[in-house]
Amino acid sequence: MDDQDGASAFGFEGSWREFAPIAFTNLLLTIVTLGIYRFWATPRERRYLWSRSRFVDENLEWAGTGKELFIGFLLVLLLFALPFFVISQVAQALVMRGQEALGTILTLGSFLLIFYLAGVARFRALRYRLSRTRWRGIRGGSDNQGFGFGLSYMWKTLVGYVALGLMIPWSMTSLWNERWGKMSFGPYEFQANAESGGVFARFLLFYLSPLIFFVGALVLGAMGMLAGFGVGGEEGAKIGGFVSLLGIALFFYLGLGLIAVVFYAKYYREVVGATQWRDIGFSFEASTGDWIKLLLGDFALVVLTLGIGWIFLSYRHWKFFMVHLEARGEILLDELTQSTTRTATHGEGLLDAFDMGAI
Amino acid sequence: MAKACLTRSTWARSRPVEQGFRTSAQWYDGVTARRHEGEAEWDGSGQLLLHSSDGQSTAVALEDLRYFEKRRDSLVYARDSVADFRLVLPADLPPALDRALPTRGEYGAWIDRMGLGKAIIGFGAISAVAVALFMTAPEWLGPRVPVSWERKMGDAMIGNFGGRLCHTPAADAALAKMQDRIDPAAGDIRVGLANIDMVNAVALPGGQVLMFDGIIQQAESPEELAGVLGHEIGHVRERHVMTALLRQFGLSILLAGANSGLGDTAFGIAAMGYSRDAELEADAYARKQMAKGRVSPLGAAGFFERMAKESGEGESPALIGWIATHPSSRDRAKAYRTSATEGAAYPPVLTKQEFAALKSACKDDPDVEDFDFF
Repeated sequence: MDDQDGASAFGFEGSWREFAPIAFTNLLLTIVTLGIYRFWATPRERRYLWSRSRFVDENLEWAGTGKELFIGFLLVLLLFALPFFVISQVAQALVMRGQEALGTILTLGSFLLIFYLAGVARFRALRYRLSRTRWRGIRGGSDNQGFGFGLSYMWKTLVGYVALGLMIPWSMTSLWNERWGKMSFGPYEFQANAESGGVFARFLLFYLSPLIFFVGALVLGAMGMLAGFGVGGEEGAKIGGFVSLLGIALFFYLGLGLIAVVFYAKYYREVVGATQWRDIGFSFEASTGDWIKLLLGDFALVVLTLGIGWIFLSYRHWKFFMVHLEARGEILLDELTQSTTRTATHGEGLLDAFDMGAI
Repeated sequence: MAKACLTRSTWARSRPVEQGFRTSAQWYDGVTARRHEGEAEWDGSGQLLLHSSDGQSTAVALEDLRYFEKRRDSLVYARDSVADFRLVLPADLPPALDRALPTRGEYGAWIDRMGLGKAIIGFGAISAVAVALFMTAPEWLGPRVPVSWERKMGDAMIGNFGGRLCHTPAADAALAKMQDRIDPAAGDIRVGLANIDMVNAVALPGGQVLMFDGIIQQAESPEELAGVLGHEIGHVRERHVMTALLRQFGLSILLAGANSGLGDTAFGIAAMGYSRDAELEADAYARKQMAKGRVSPLGAAGFFERMAKESGEGESPALIGWIATHPSSRDRAKAYRTSATEGAAYPPVLTKQEFAALKSACKDDPDVEDFDFF
């Protein structure tokens, strides 16, 4: 397979008109089954999205089934949700009967366990997706169970938050490297060498934010009061001040969100760009502006359709991902043999339970 | 390397067939990423012959194929016997071959078999029944909760009241005497006195009845208290308690037992609502038992009349009694008053000393704790 100069190695050929019947019937069936059809709705959606996604000269395939997602969900319910519920009840009873220390330890312990399982779940969700993705009949996966990653996730996240959160970029990139480094597609492993240095500058924006807000608040507040005073004297100044407060609150949320997007856009370019598969290097070309457009579009779509547009978000996000993903390099198809990784017979139940996104 | 053994499937030499349908096809063997291109040939039998452009042929039984997905202009089939094998055929197949190939699925096996419309109606009906069963669960499930289970919950709740129960030998004896008049058979119902300053009494699961100190203090005669006690015992006997708990706190209470946080707040239990019918049933039970035990219902009537006056209900139309879930105090008072047999001699429930012992029980018990809401 040759290096595809000019044309992008990844492409998306779907249309929302084709997707709409899938999304609407999924919604309808999910409603009449009280949510149970969700497990079958997800693979239907993905089968469509994957089949309309092209890598070089062949489309992807989603081979996951609803049954395995359902089994995954049941497993999580049985193995984690039920024990957790019992533990929390026991802890409560202990506290009520005067055993505060024991009860607190039990509660803390169960929260630590959830923290750990959240890490394992992130790992397994990626593994599940790769193992159910086919390209030219070949799939990916990992022979790692993700239990070690769960531990890394715990301590690296914790370390990230010490030193005023200055280590967060490091913990994010190093977890990405660790997670992808254990994945493979066909016979070849992925490699990721993302570095936190590249995203650190933008991360510092979070620290500047209080200063920006402070100055912004002063300016906005003064302007609002002056304007109010000009219009209606003392009373006007009060109203103007109130309006300014509203403006500051809005500014705060929008401003913080904006900084998060600015950081995340760079982070995603960095980590995808540092990921390799054999001789193929990946890159992600979405700028901060692209991300903002995506999010504003999402917002408009959901609000203007009174919420129904929500069923199209997965389509929009997948399209965004495929359109901006690029790959460079070459691979010999004859050498690209089937993955020998073990495939789990159940779906991403853990991640479903913690309600997290995948990529 | 390109011509390595491709599949574990049967191999056949290319043989010329004049009749039969031929179409372009692609397939992947599930072993390497190499794409096989050539033609698929169908002679009307139960198999497809895949002729690779390099001269090799593979026979694939139609019943080995499984529909996988539809792309824009093509259909994708998998094979049961060869993992990750994929056969890509053009979407415009002749109808005969289309029928011979496995049927296409769309929504999942069950729904495909039923058809989308029928599935939606069927699942919708089942879901409606399930929701209805769930919503009415308190009514049908409450009385079916095993007695032993209920008893355990009640014991745990009493445990959470801790030292707030008032006990003096005289008061305990007075309570027992009163209970014996209304419900002589009762070995299984336990009546207690709680140091809570609310005009209320509650029936807990498992036959526990608690009279609050507030209602004792405002009572003008032991007959009033007998009426209240009879009413609460009525809730126990008619098995209303679990139903009310389920209505108030949902099904989770069955799993959580007494530890759901409701046990430690008397407020939660005091707020427990019975249905209008349940209240009337409990009243009817109380009147029946009082008549049997020759306890005057006039005390209870007086109590409800006082309640009616205090809540200003006296002026509101009696119709409200039919609308509100709680029967109006006025109607209840009337029911008690009319149940009195004229000219009957009702021996007093308690002596003056016994009544006084009840009134002072919480003051006289040196070990009792105060109740705080917070």
